[in-house]
Amino acid sequence: MRILVVDDSSTMRRIIINTLNKLGYKEFHEASNGREGVERLATTPVDMIITDWNMPEMSGVEFIRAVRANEATRHLPVLMVTTNAAEDDIVEALRAGVNNYVVKPFTPDTIKEKIAAALKA
Amino acid sequence: MTIPPRMIGNLVRATEEVFETMVFKSVSAQEPIADESFRPVSNVVASVAFAGYRCGLVAFHSSTGAARDIAGAMLGIPPASVNGEMPDAIGEIANMIAGTLRTKMAEVEPAWAIAVPTVTIGSDFSTKYPTDVTRLLLPFSMEGQSIFVELILTGR
Repeated sequence: MRILVVDDSSTMRRIIINTLNKLGYKEFHEASNGREGVERLATTPVDMIITDWNMPEMSGVEFIRAVRANEATRHLPVLMVTTNAAEDDIVEALRAGVNNYVVKPFTPDTIKEKIAAALKA
Repeated sequence: MTIPPRMIGNLVRATEEVFETMVFKSVSAQEPIADESFRPVSNVVASVAFAGYRCGLVAFHSSTGAARDIAGAMLGIPPASVNGEMPDAIGEIANMIAGTLRTKMAEVEPAWAIAVPTVTIGSDFSTKYPTDVTRLLLPFSMEGQSIFVELILTGR
């Protein structure tokens, strides 16, 4: 499975990729904000997106709206990994098209469960 | 203006949760430092501003050595191998503490907006705030090293 990890923190991208590696996922692509994520998707096919919310240039929610508005990417499962976990945040993310939601700080088990749920959605 | 006790408790719990879950180190909270003039000795400061129902910032202070230990633990590499990764890792610590505090406070009041982190590293700098802010400095002990989480509130 090819996974695009979008986060402005290189540390968080590495933590997510390390976690996914341990879960058996092997192919990753990275972007440091939503705009870069859109550009990456235009050239690199992926099977799933994991994105942060608070990022410069283009936020995670704006990125997801762009993904859902594009015929070529609208079907992709999207998992949001963020500290934004107020009820209104989750509603906004779901309206934008998120399939599932991981709140930072997170455990590897949480990521595993949420990926499985996002892939089923 | 005073800082609500609930907010202080939530800041302590947010810091403990971030360290236990993402740094794999336990931290123990010490008594808050009330002396407004006290400035922690730190070479690394990461701050995240917030605005909305409450305005202010959360800042994380540590020595360079503690910051390397934290970054190494987060990334699963020896502290001696940590180099350029440290500022980003410490910024993410501040981001998660501020974000977790925001989420906990959103259970009882409107959620604030939070900014992306800013990280300052150096050996000869200090931070000054306007006189009308309310400040709380929370020391924590992490494996014998001191780290600090600071909360600044303005306005309301």
